[in-house]
Amino acid sequence: MPMSRNDDHQSSSGELAQTLVEFLEVAVSSIVFLKGVYPSEAFERQRYMNVVVQRARHPELRDYIHSATSGLLPFIQKDLVERVAVIFFNKDNIPIERFIFKLTINPSHETDAAQLEFSLRSFLIKLPFSKPLLKTLPLDCRWEVTAYLRSLPEVGSSKDAETWIPTDTKQWQKPPLITPIKSLDSDPLCLQLYLEHPSSS
Amino acid sequence: MLYCWTRFSGSADSCLKMKRSLGSKSSNNSSSSSNTKAKKKKTTSNQKTLGVAWGAASLSSSRSSFRSSPFSDFGSYMSEKNRKLHNQFDAEASTDFYGVSGSENLIFQGVSIFVDGFTVPSSQELRGYMLKYGGRFENYFSRRSVTHIICSNLPDSKIKNLRSFSRGLPVVKPTWILDSISAKRLLSWVPYQLDQLTDAQPKLSAFFAPKSHSVPEVVSTDMTCQPTSRFCDIRMNEAEVANLFRAAKFGEGREHENDETDGVYLEITTRERMDPAISGDRKSSELNSEELDYCGIEEKEVNSDFPSCSEHPPASTNISFCENDTNDDISTATTAVCSKRRHSTLEDPNFVENYFKSSRLHFIGTWRKRYRKRFHGSSDGLKSTDSGHNAVGSPKKTAFIHIDLDCFFVSVVIKNCPELQDKPVAVCHSDNPKGTAEISSANYPARAYGVKAGMFVRNAKDLCPQLIIVPYNFEAYEEVADHFYDILHKHCRKVQAISCDEAFLDVSDLDDVDPEILASMIRKEVFETTGCSASAGIGSTMLMARLATRTAKPAGQFHIPSDKVDEYLDQLPVDVLPGVGYVLKEKLKKHNIQTCSQLRLVSKDSLQKDFGMKTGEMLWSYSRGLDHRSVRTVQENKSIGADVNWGVRFRNQQDIQHFLQCLCKEVSLRLQGCEMLGRTFTLKIKKRRKDAAEPAKYMGCGDCDNLSRSITVPVATDDVEVLQRISKKLFGSFFLDVKEIRGVGLQVSKLESVDSSKRGSTRTLESYLSFVSAQTEQRVNSRAAKVGGSSADCERHVTADDTRVGESDRAESSIQTSEIHSFSENQASSVPPLCHLDMEVLESLPSEVVAELDQTYGGKLVGLIEKRRGKGKTKSNSSLVSLDDVKSANSLPSKMCSLSTHEEEECEEPRQGISSEPTIEMADLMPLSFSQVDISVLQELPEDLRAGLLGALPAHRKQHSPSDTPTMETEHDKEPVEVGEAQNEIGFSDKNLWIGNPPIWVEKFKVSSHHILKNVSEMYCKLVVQSRPKLSSILQHAIFSISSSYDSSANDLEEALYNVCELLRQYIKLKIEGDIEEIYLCFRLLKRLALRCQFFLQVYEIVSPFLQACIGENYGGNLNIS
Repeated sequence: MPMSRNDDHQSSSGELAQTLVEFLEVAVSSIVFLKGVYPSEAFERQRYMNVVVQRARHPELRDYIHSATSGLLPFIQKDLVERVAVIFFNKDNIPIERFIFKLTINPSHETDAAQLEFSLRSFLIKLPFSKPLLKTLPLDCRWEVTAYLRSLPEVGSSKDAETWIPTDTKQWQKPPLITPIKSLDSDPLCLQLYLEHPSSS
Repeated sequence: MLYCWTRFSGSADSCLKMKRSLGSKSSNNSSSSSNTKAKKKKTTSNQKTLGVAWGAASLSSSRSSFRSSPFSDFGSYMSEKNRKLHNQFDAEASTDFYGVSGSENLIFQGVSIFVDGFTVPSSQELRGYMLKYGGRFENYFSRRSVTHIICSNLPDSKIKNLRSFSRGLPVVKPTWILDSISAKRLLSWVPYQLDQLTDAQPKLSAFFAPKSHSVPEVVSTDMTCQPTSRFCDIRMNEAEVANLFRAAKFGEGREHENDETDGVYLEITTRERMDPAISGDRKSSELNSEELDYCGIEEKEVNSDFPSCSEHPPASTNISFCENDTNDDISTATTAVCSKRRHSTLEDPNFVENYFKSSRLHFIGTWRKRYRKRFHGSSDGLKSTDSGHNAVGSPKKTAFIHIDLDCFFVSVVIKNCPELQDKPVAVCHSDNPKGTAEISSANYPARAYGVKAGMFVRNAKDLCPQLIIVPYNFEAYEEVADHFYDILHKHCRKVQAISCDEAFLDVSDLDDVDPEILASMIRKEVFETTGCSASAGIGSTMLMARLATRTAKPAGQFHIPSDKVDEYLDQLPVDVLPGVGYVLKEKLKKHNIQTCSQLRLVSKDSLQKDFGMKTGEMLWSYSRGLDHRSVRTVQENKSIGADVNWGVRFRNQQDIQHFLQCLCKEVSLRLQGCEMLGRTFTLKIKKRRKDAAEPAKYMGCGDCDNLSRSITVPVATDDVEVLQRISKKLFGSFFLDVKEIRGVGLQVSKLESVDSSKRGSTRTLESYLSFVSAQTEQRVNSRAAKVGGSSADCERHVTADDTRVGESDRAESSIQTSEIHSFSENQASSVPPLCHLDMEVLESLPSEVVAELDQTYGGKLVGLIEKRRGKGKTKSNSSLVSLDDVKSANSLPSKMCSLSTHEEEECEEPRQGISSEPTIEMADLMPLSFSQVDISVLQELPEDLRAGLLGALPAHRKQHSPSDTPTMETEHDKEPVEVGEAQNEIGFSDKNLWIGNPPIWVEKFKVSSHHILKNVSEMYCKLVVQSRPKLSSILQHAIFSISSSYDSSANDLEEALYNVCELLRQYIKLKIEGDIEEIYLCFRLLKRLALRCQFFLQVYEIVSPFLQACIGENYGGNLNIS
């Protein structure tokens, strides 16, 4: 996870996408850590945006998260990504909990890197506090990163796109319960992070 | 075996086992008391160093003792040591040795102090006190045993990390202990908290400062009613005298400059003499005329001898006070005229005017303006040619002349006094015996003695006892500067004025003339015309020309050809380069750079790395004689303003208000002088820094915190009344104790020239209102003072003031209107004459408004209307609108009143005429959107006026920022039920409630009759400190303040419910896309509120379905509000 930071004050929308992908990588790691899918020893403390975050130690896990998020880059750049979900599901492929990042990017606006970093950092800070909201996972659960796109990309438009496959995770029958965790409503980037749980009724 | 020592065991004796001598009286001294530390001794060799070098000794000895001691580690060693120290302490305390330890003296019972660092008294003395008065003294800090930390000073790191340092214990100054002892009881430690800490923490009391100060203010006016009236007398007398003198001055003409100055001096001394006389004996006009005659005679007698004041022996102590304490601040350079009179804002009602009349810096500053006006035409040509010159990239040879008048300020003054030519002369505003004034300029003979600008007269006279001090002569300066520039412009088209006595000429284009010859020609001509010598430097760049002048001075010229540049620069000290000041010089010195040749050895990159991009670049090129600047015209001013940082002292709110008014007048005059209008107004305040003593300079500003606030209005203005209103508002937002203020400045920026924004001289309603309200307030002030006994009025005034300060623009404007309401009783002088009123307008006004207006006109208005209508109308006999009504006056009548006054105002403008298009003015007044227009007001208006208003709306929307919408913007719910319906009619259907700043609903709720709505609205106003508080934070506060009590009528309830629900719905719509976190928070809070209050339960139930629908629409789920 190379966390090279760009210190330029103004960054183009391309850099916004890059920052966002980086952020997603860290956030997904944090979520996985938070959910306790793996023992906490599988993670190590790191600093990102001057916040202590957890990073996977295991190279495969790290690579999976990295490839999943960085694979989003071309789609984010094209503004195709509507939502990015981290879905935890049981062995029957029925989701138990979903972390949703809902993004809207307004590429016409200039990005203030410092401001963006400040905003994204608050997500990373807020995330651990959502722990009381979370459900405990069954033993043999699995998880995946799913991206919801606004439209299907042309096949083979980029190499990165090939690593993405249609998901076979089942959908909930009823509308889920939504618990917001953090919102960012600024001009180049509008980002909502919320939890979805199956509706109890 | 163990031996203990402490870090303050200061004497070598302590290594010996000593039995404490009970008889010793000097037990407080560290030497003997430290002896008591040593309980058991073990004679080892290293003990001799004990106390001398504690660190080293402790290490070695502890190591050696560890070897032989039973302690396993340092921790157990320390605990044992602490135990022993406690025992020692207890033993000492119990022996009664430290004096009477009767129970009445145990004031420090339960207090255990830890002394950190150096203190006065020393820690040993403190220990003695603790022993004596029943406290404890800890040698080592421990959270458990220590109750107070005593220290006088803390390092920055500890301040920053106070909690980890003090563990939450109070950090107190040692005086707490001393004071407690002298008070014979344990005092609260709070006032003795370490200053460093109290500074860092904003005090709650600071926020209430304006309130607490405004109350005594009113009271004090009551008290000083009598003296005030007397002051008024004096003031009037002064004005008379001043006028007379001015007249006399102009009458005499300007034959001789020195006479001129003397006139000014005389005027002042006379006034000084008069003031004590008047205030003492209260003699009146006869005395004035007497004095005047006297002055008139003296004026003739006085010759050019300076100082003229020496001829007038001090008539009273007042004068000597002025003379002795005369001082000057270099930054503000108050000059002779000012210094001879009352010195501060406290004593001089015309302080501001006089201040600027006599400031040298002010002269220099305003000179530029004058120059631009005078030479505007000639600089036009410069611009065009200049750009061409730049485009070429100057391949041909460039040549610049820098020309500078030699010691301008002195030589102008003495040019007509040949006897002074060769003597050391310095210009200074004052030549008083104390010699604390600063010299502003000295001539070359004086410089030879080492006299420099900025030096105190006293010191200068030490260097040069025969130094002659002369005062400024601003008129002569102006005249000489004008001549100087006339000559320059005659010879060269490209002139850049640097100052009144210094300019650059670009002579590159003048191929046929040798710059050296040109320079000598100019110098000769300057000398012949003005009598002042000039020096000129010629170089290939502006930099080199300027440096050459340095060599040329005095009265010479010097040419640095481009091939000699390096040679010239080689030995040049770096601080000669323009832009290299003291700080930069010291920095360079650290890099071992003192001359330009050394500077040249450093690469550009490393210079830029060390000193920043710009400075590095500058150093690099300057050291090579490169200078890319080219001759330009005088830059346009970015801002216009006035600062007063000298002599500023206020007693109360009235003083500062008066001062602000004067300052605004000055700034307004300056704006008008420049023919500029400004939109942004910045008020700068110098506030005495805490603990700053009275400054060394008499009446100087001393050590100050600089504060500034600004406000931008939509329409540029130079109107003094607008300025006054704005500055007042800005000042109010500081929440300052007026006594702490040491300087005030007002700057106007975002300038537009008058032509571009020409709108005739139409005054806007805004300015009119502010004018009226300012007047009202003054009247209210004075009235409150007059009334004296009736405290109710005073209080009312205070609250009104407070709300003004605390609330937002909109709230303020509503108060302003209400002030107008109250104003009508004594307005007569400022309302337009009856004949200017538009009868049609008057007739269409509601009767109660007419009645009010009628009062203003003393009952004539109704008669007029009656005459016109031929209809009988009862004359209103309601009593004067009392101040108590002010608060409730925030309703239709007052608003109509403001509107109608405006209409009258319109009629007042003869040029515009009654029939003129209302839109011209409307554009300045209209609120941002139609939703902010009070429909009921609109409906009351006559047909044509309404049409005009509506027509004015769209054109106007573009220019206004919401915060600046004046008057007329708000809803009012006088009859709640109707409003509920009206809403539906007029339609706040969309996101209207959240438009504006503060959003519309705040005002709407405020006037609501429902207490919860009011409550919420007040909450917003409280929170408005944050920029645009979120609803969630308002609700959060509401949880604590909204009681469950419920006492509204059914009507109220329905309406309030509707309003709140609508508010929430609109908020959801606003936030649903971007910020569900906020919505989530709001509804969680709402749910908590619902548990307490039936009202919110209903709201919650009504809005919930809507919320879920919205969430479902946007996020495909339901919000989890469990």
